[in-house]
Amino acid sequence: MSNETAISSREGRSSALPTYAPVCDVYESKDEILVLADLPGVTPDALRIHLEKGELTIEARRSMSAAGRALGAEFGDLEFRRRFGVPGGIDADRISAELTNGVLHLHLPKSDALRPRRIEVRAG
Amino acid sequence: MTTRWTTDRARRAFSDFDEMFSSLEAFRQLMDRAYDDGARAERGAVGSWPRANLADSGTALVLTAEVPGLSDKDVNITLNQDVLTVSGERKTSVPEGYTAYRQERGSIKFSRSFSLPCRVDGEKATAAVKNGILTVTLEKVPDAVPRQIAVTG
Repeated sequence: MSNETAISSREGRSSALPTYAPVCDVYESKDEILVLADLPGVTPDALRIHLEKGELTIEARRSMSAAGRALGAEFGDLEFRRRFGVPGGIDADRISAELTNGVLHLHLPKSDALRPRRIEVRAG
Repeated sequence: MTTRWTTDRARRAFSDFDEMFSSLEAFRQLMDRAYDDGARAERGAVGSWPRANLADSGTALVLTAEVPGLSDKDVNITLNQDVLTVSGERKTSVPEGYTAYRQERGSIKFSRSFSLPCRVDGEKATAAVKNGILTVTLEKVPDAVPRQIAVTG
């Protein structure tokens, strides 16, 4: 579909699919960092998330099954990819993710060191 | 604004838009690269969300659209003669107890209309949302289904 020329590939050298950075929200609570990413058409098996040296990468391949002869197309197969710098102090073992309605909810729990804590002040 | 897709005009219409958008896209990428680490905020122009495809399966017209964050009950679909309208609202809000560090996924109230290239049977239309993709299947009226005409010699 010639429409894919509008979505250009910035990093994809080996991949034949155009690469697209998904739209994201980043929220923070006292316990975790929450990343929401729009990944319409992506299923859990096509999603890869990894955290390495303070860099979080979200990658997902989306393939649309052809419904027939295309009369007009504004979106197609593509590779979602986005990188975030993540502050130190994320408990990598407890990272969890859910994919609902094409939106990824990625929970990055803060390790105890990063959680805000009350410091007792003793009268000295 | 009604999107009109017909078999003979589709390719020409889209190539015009391709050229316009690819130069805008290149400019926007330069802007984004200067702004942050290369991650891009996608905020389409009003009237272009959600992105949609229209296909002809022979017996039906199939409209698919990217609607991340929406489920069946969030989308309204109406068919009026040969105009299909998809509307609804995608709400995003800061979750309780969190502060927003970055928000690119906006709340959008949308309504897009598509002019269909042939007549369809409204009684037999079906629609479903799965994994953030809306699929509307519109069976054509019998007259609109292509048919072979036997040539007798």
